[in-house]
Amino acid sequence: MSFLSIVFAAFLAAGLLVYHNAPVPRRPAILLVLSFLFYATWSVWDAALLLAVTAGVYGAARLLDQTPSESRKLRLLTVAIAGLLVLLVGFKCAWLLATQLNAAWVEGNPNAVLLLAAPLGLSYYSFKLLGYLLDVYWGTLPARRDFVPVALYAAFFPQIVSGPIQRAQDFFTQLDAQRASDPDSFVLGLRRILFGLFKKVAIADQLAVVVTHAHGHSLQHSSLELLLGAYCFSLQMYADFSGITDIAIGTGLLFGIRGPENFNRPYFAAANLQEFWRRWHMSLTSWLTDYLFVPLRMTFRHLGNAGLALAIFINMVAVGIWHGPRWTYLVFGCLNGVFMIVSVLTLKRRNQFFKTRPTLTRWRAWVAPLVTFHLVVLTHIFFQAPDLHSALSYLGQMLHLAPHGTVAASRMDLSSFGLTYGRLFQALAGLVVMETIHWAMSQPDWAQRFNTTRREFRWVLYYAVIVIVMLSARGTTSFIYAKF
Amino acid sequence: MTHEEAHQRLTAVFRDIFDNPSLEIADSTTADDIDDWDSVNHITLIAAVESEFKIKLSTRDVKNLANVGDFLKLIESKAA
Repeated sequence: MSFLSIVFAAFLAAGLLVYHNAPVPRRPAILLVLSFLFYATWSVWDAALLLAVTAGVYGAARLLDQTPSESRKLRLLTVAIAGLLVLLVGFKCAWLLATQLNAAWVEGNPNAVLLLAAPLGLSYYSFKLLGYLLDVYWGTLPARRDFVPVALYAAFFPQIVSGPIQRAQDFFTQLDAQRASDPDSFVLGLRRILFGLFKKVAIADQLAVVVTHAHGHSLQHSSLELLLGAYCFSLQMYADFSGITDIAIGTGLLFGIRGPENFNRPYFAAANLQEFWRRWHMSLTSWLTDYLFVPLRMTFRHLGNAGLALAIFINMVAVGIWHGPRWTYLVFGCLNGVFMIVSVLTLKRRNQFFKTRPTLTRWRAWVAPLVTFHLVVLTHIFFQAPDLHSALSYLGQMLHLAPHGTVAASRMDLSSFGLTYGRLFQALAGLVVMETIHWAMSQPDWAQRFNTTRREFRWVLYYAVIVIVMLSARGTTSFIYAKF
Repeated sequence: MTHEEAHQRLTAVFRDIFDNPSLEIADSTTADDIDDWDSVNHITLIAAVESEFKIKLSTRDVKNLANVGDFLKLIESKAA
């Protein structure tokens, strides 16, 4: 059941009715049943697996809490983490391995997909459960005695398709504090869902036309058109991923749970790559910082800058291959790792250089975010391409290094994408609106200030967005980040 | 080692790592109060503290630090 379907809307409406009419103590159990119903519509077997994995992690966390011996604790933690990682890596690599070992069996077997495809949301729920185990081991969180909150944490349906990856402590604190239904949270949730739909349908899906054509038929396009395709993909992914995150956060709010934010205006505000990654897919990067980067940094801390570089590199490679076992994701991670190492190791010197040069500093404020944006666009070419060869030939043609056929390098013909200037302008105007709203949302008390505007103004705005969404809809599409 | 002495030596480490000779720290100081105190510099700070106070800290120790006061308590308990 996709977030963008009538069935989901009906499921959500029915679920909300049942949930908010039930007594407060029963609500977590109801939400758990709803979450498993939602998940089972994708696959009953995957739902059974999720339940079994959660039960295992629940038991392991309880044992961790009760075991006094440090060495036994460490052994237990190692076994539990290894189990989760084997599951994650095993499923992610199963398809790849099977096609390498016996391609004929995979292609001729209708059950192959059922057997080998990674369960929906595996990357998200396994990271949540890994974090929970480590929190209990480090003593930052006590193991939960009840099974329901742990199972709900892993299966919480608004977050299982594409995150955000909420921390266990944050989730449990909000779950425990729930008393009565909160109308304000409901309004915030609906507004957030509407904003998410706007981003997806009015921006991301419009830009997708350019991206699909540029990557699918790169030989038919000029260098300049391919550059436009590369820009469009980075912008599409931002609108698409932050759109589904809004729908997830909004849906969570309807049930009184606020998920963590995933984006903080990453483009044009980030002055370097490390800042970009603090503003992009924040729930994943902050998770990796706490559970991978900090332990790695601690392990390599006496190696000086070499240790720092190693920790950054491993961390960014992990960011890349978290998306799947593909060479393109690995290169995406490696490129980010190398760029970030250079940026981190030279930052102090660069700052000292600019300290005594005020004119250059003013230029730096404009140029640095642009350079960062272009580095990100470059890495996204690898992220988007189906394989390494396609990525390299796209890049070669874009930079005019590879043979191009008869198309002039500087041609800019939008009709070659099947696009009009009007449609491109609409998507870009949508992006400006989106970033303006993001800016407004980052201001203190924005919700209160918005709520005190005239009611007519708010409702005209809501209806305008609904009409834009309905007029822009181009049929069923899927979200980029729903496949991880 | 007295609390005062530990505080002084820790201040010197902070000033060196964050490249700020006039930096003052209090028990309530957190990472939000000091520019550049991010996850990268945090562990650089931990390594410098280990070498200054001749102690060994684990990831778990580092995880449970909320502010400078916690850091000082940890150093004093390890150095004791």
